[in-house]
Amino acid sequence: MIEIKNLTKIYGDIIAVDDLSFTVNDNEVLGFLGPNGAGKSTTMNIITGYLPATSGDVLVDGIDISKNPMEVRRKIGYLPEQPPVYMDMRVREYLDFCAGIKGIPAKDIKKSVEKAMSLLKITDVQKRLIKNLSKGYRQRVGFAQAILADPKVLILDEPTVGLDPNQTLEVRNVIRSLKKDRTIIFSSHILQEVSAVCERVVIIDKGKIKAIDTPWNLAHNMDKHCVYSLKIEGDKEKAYDLLKGVNGVRQVYNVTELDARTNQFKIDVSDERVRKSVLKKLLESEFELVEFSEEKTSLEDVFVSLTGKKK
Amino acid sequence: MRYIFKKELQSFFFSPLIYVLSAIFLFIFAQTFINVITTTDSSINEFTYAYHILYQNMFYFIFLIPALTMKTFAEERRGGTEVLLLSSPISLFSVVVGKFLAVAVAFLFMTALSLIFPVIIASNGVIVWSGLICGYIGFIAWGLCLIAVGMLMSSFTENQVIAVVLGEACMLGLYLVDVFKENALISNITPLYNLLNAISAQERFFNFALGWFSLSDLVFYITFMCAALGFTIISIDQRRRCRG
Repeated sequence: MIEIKNLTKIYGDIIAVDDLSFTVNDNEVLGFLGPNGAGKSTTMNIITGYLPATSGDVLVDGIDISKNPMEVRRKIGYLPEQPPVYMDMRVREYLDFCAGIKGIPAKDIKKSVEKAMSLLKITDVQKRLIKNLSKGYRQRVGFAQAILADPKVLILDEPTVGLDPNQTLEVRNVIRSLKKDRTIIFSSHILQEVSAVCERVVIIDKGKIKAIDTPWNLAHNMDKHCVYSLKIEGDKEKAYDLLKGVNGVRQVYNVTELDARTNQFKIDVSDERVRKSVLKKLLESEFELVEFSEEKTSLEDVFVSLTGKKK
Repeated sequence: MRYIFKKELQSFFFSPLIYVLSAIFLFIFAQTFINVITTTDSSINEFTYAYHILYQNMFYFIFLIPALTMKTFAEERRGGTEVLLLSSPISLFSVVVGKFLAVAVAFLFMTALSLIFPVIIASNGVIVWSGLICGYIGFIAWGLCLIAVGMLMSSFTENQVIAVVLGEACMLGLYLVDVFKENALISNITPLYNLLNAISAQERFFNFALGWFSLSDLVFYITFMCAALGFTIISIDQRRRCRG
């Protein structure tokens, strides 16, 4: 379990992290979400003991990082944003070195290095120089380093940045396979990723917490209105007036011409029952309804509304 | 510490840098060696190896040692691997000392190559052992001090070129202390003279060069080295606190 209490970090006159408090439960995957420069990396650097905090406490399994840093570091595996690899070393050599400095007993090094390599599927490249590997492979080598000592807590700073879609999926699967008996904090600014992997999400902006909840709750506790998207064949102006005339439709917007006869509309309605009357009205009219769909409130909308960032 | 030492040592001996530096070092050494032999008074045919040759070569430390130490911390910071070291369960002390020992071994490797010159002397003449052994002790002690200084400079920056330039400037400054303190202006101001005298290092080498094993001078070198390493630890630790 990780407890973060009133954590603050100040660089000169910049407040990078401002009185942050939250708890990560055992065996939980916590998503750490925020725009660039929100203080995600700084917070992670503090939890891993790389940077000291200006004030506040970080407790990992009840041990205070500022009082007993070595004990805490032993429990944590960390993958920073830039994988901490030595370009002039070979993969195997590098992992052996990491195992050594992580205090793995000499007789177990071979076993744990091989286990980490097979989990990240880098056994094939073990004899290659890291500088000759692609970005995706370097990321995986960095990831292997983080899980070498079989830590209880894994901290991953944007582990899928710069990977191709297949590699991203693979890394997500690795995270899923690791989460059985581990606490994972995982930062990202890709929202689908967070909702796909995490059980809870912390959204931070400018060093402050904006929300902590499950991805589902976050998306559903938003403003209760619904948005539907319709594709209608027929005269644009008339269709617009028809939609506008339905009781309960608050707004018709985003009208786009798809081709000479078909237009796309978005309607903002007060509640779900309005859907029925819209459909009824359309079916009774001369218009042909090509498509009708509900626009889901995504985590993205939550994010944008909380952090006030326009896409 | 063991793993840091091993890794650093590998990165030295698996890269061409150390061999190129050794070649340059030996070339310069050979130059001074020939110079001394050809200019020695032929009627007595006597010269002090340590005094004449080692001392001259200590000047070239200014160029050689920063090249050995430039990478130590600057590269870790640039490559983002500093995070790995500082979030692993090893102390900063063992990182610094591990790296120092590795550079020291590389330096001793270069110094060992220069033993070929005493061998040449022995095959054609007589060696004064006390001068040779003590001379080398002083030579190595000063070398280790400058390695610690070079590492301190490397911890200030993430640019290796700047690390070299800072190192050279600093070592040149230390070399010039000996020159400056003798000038009339400074030697008249007693406190300043005393201060410079206290940190002047190369003069202490002469005792070693004459074949005297001077414990107090050795203690000076060791203190100097430990202080520079201590500052290196403080420098890295402080940077973490105010990194922005």
